[in-house]
Amino acid sequence: MQIGTANPDALAENAPRLSSLDVEAVTLEGLELFQLLCEVKADGLLEALPPALHPTIPGVLTWLAYRFDESPWGPFRLAQTRIECRSGTRPRGLFVAGVIDNEAASHALAGGWGYNLRMGEIDLRRGFDGVDLRVSVEGECILDLAMHDPLLLPPDSLQFVSSLHPAHTPAGFRLVQVDPVHHINRAERGEPIVNLFDAEAWAVPGLEPQYPISAACGSGSLTLGKLRFLCRPGELAFTGTETV
Amino acid sequence: MKFGVIFELSVPRPFANGIEQTVILNALEQIRLAEELGFDTAWAVEHHFLEEYSHSSAPELFLTAVAMQTSRIRVGHAAVVCIPEINHPIRVAERAAFLDILSGGRLELGTARSSTWTELGGFEIDPDTTKATWDEYVRVLPKMWTQERFSWEGNCFSTPERAILPKPIQDPHPPLWVTVTSPGTELDAADRGIGCLGVAAAGFKEQDRRTKEYHRRIQLCDPVGAVNDQVSTLNFLYCHEDLKTGAELGMQMLGNFGLLNSHLLFTREAYPSRAYATLGNLAPSQGKPDAKSPGAAVGIPEGMCIGDPKVIIHAIKEWESIGIDQINFMLNAAEVLPQEKVLESLRLFAHEVMPAFARETR
Repeated sequence: MQIGTANPDALAENAPRLSSLDVEAVTLEGLELFQLLCEVKADGLLEALPPALHPTIPGVLTWLAYRFDESPWGPFRLAQTRIECRSGTRPRGLFVAGVIDNEAASHALAGGWGYNLRMGEIDLRRGFDGVDLRVSVEGECILDLAMHDPLLLPPDSLQFVSSLHPAHTPAGFRLVQVDPVHHINRAERGEPIVNLFDAEAWAVPGLEPQYPISAACGSGSLTLGKLRFLCRPGELAFTGTETV
Repeated sequence: MKFGVIFELSVPRPFANGIEQTVILNALEQIRLAEELGFDTAWAVEHHFLEEYSHSSAPELFLTAVAMQTSRIRVGHAAVVCIPEINHPIRVAERAAFLDILSGGRLELGTARSSTWTELGGFEIDPDTTKATWDEYVRVLPKMWTQERFSWEGNCFSTPERAILPKPIQDPHPPLWVTVTSPGTELDAADRGIGCLGVAAAGFKEQDRRTKEYHRRIQLCDPVGAVNDQVSTLNFLYCHEDLKTGAELGMQMLGNFGLLNSHLLFTREAYPSRAYATLGNLAPSQGKPDAKSPGAAVGIPEGMCIGDPKVIIHAIKEWESIGIDQINFMLNAAEVLPQEKVLESLRLFAHEVMPAFARETR
């Protein structure tokens, strides 16, 4: 079976630092979200995952964007890129990079849950005919996605899997499992469009999107819970999982 | 109780040096022995693109080889994917009839719609449509087999009047089944009068509930053809004289299968749709052991047919008591067990376990 080959030391280089694993849960109301899944070519996939993780067949990138009109840190927008993967038999998404537009929120999310974020602009617009997402850093567009022809779905149709965030923790460099709970009260699915993805800017230079699968948007709230598990990045989940 | 063997034809990496041929030839050898030992059915699945997990993309060819190398064991297609982009319904009817003839009337035809995005995406299939196309297929297949000439104007295909040839030799046609992964599909099976081919290992309690509801509901069915009211379930078989050895090697097979299965991209995970309400994950439940089973001491999950003959008899008696008609066994997963051990396990099962179940009821 296939196992990731990325060097954990390279993943650790720019990883955020958690001073404690005892973060308080927070619920953020007024969520608007957009998620797009896209198949990637197999080349470069194993090199992007640490030895703790297995790739999915086929490999998939997920882009997930949030907009909150209010939060303990003020309004903010966040966009993230993840590689869908498996930790043992469990579905997970390896968080590879994120962009945010609120410095206080960035600090809180990085220090609490290991979100590796840079400052930038996130333009997330929902209309009756679809959704547009543009993410820019230092004036350069690094992600341009859209969803056309939305179709209303039961809110529980949307699926979200837990993330693994590479981060320095009091236990050492680990993949921190983050289990966001999305409370969705409206959901739509539409045609996924990938106009631009700058793989290098998202820290996955070897990955090439090839086949958009689905796009969905929704609204509701998000709870970021307490941390429960850590994974040693160089070891398979069966022996490398630690309870917080 | 009937016993079957079922094959995913899983292949370990690297796919070189004839490993795929080895897996296929090993499976054929296992089936020849299974026939000799008194097993009732040999099933082969249909999957596409599922690296390592299943290389059984042309089961109709594999089963033709089975038919020609055996004389008694029934030949089970488990199951043909009922989506026009993969298998046109007329071709399904034609190939099934041909296989029924070649096997001397031994075909069992399972039907399915695929649960992975890996497969659906590979053929650019809209996941929202697969339940409806499956429904149309199971309604027309008996007509294509039994009507001298057939015409159809449907949602997923149409054809002017034609003779669909050849006709199967089983009268009126081979038994129809549907693979059941998602809870609720057993009700679709019952409503149409077709057999319930369990391919996801459920625990006793859940299987009991599904089986009772299936049997209640099939009494009221609007049958698509000849009624097949059997319920089969999937299991894993590794039988060894020594409980600890049996459990250890059997659990290796179970673990390997679950791991390979989990790497697939399930439709529910990738594509939000009402048509795929559950993941459809086939990995066996790693639930608690059955406290009443002698296998509990070594951690064998409830209902799994691995361990020594005593443990396996206990599990099968439980399945029998809840009305299961047939248990289909996986014998290996990506060759984690050497071929000789698989054959020894089959022989021991036939010698020590089969006699505990009356032949007349099999």
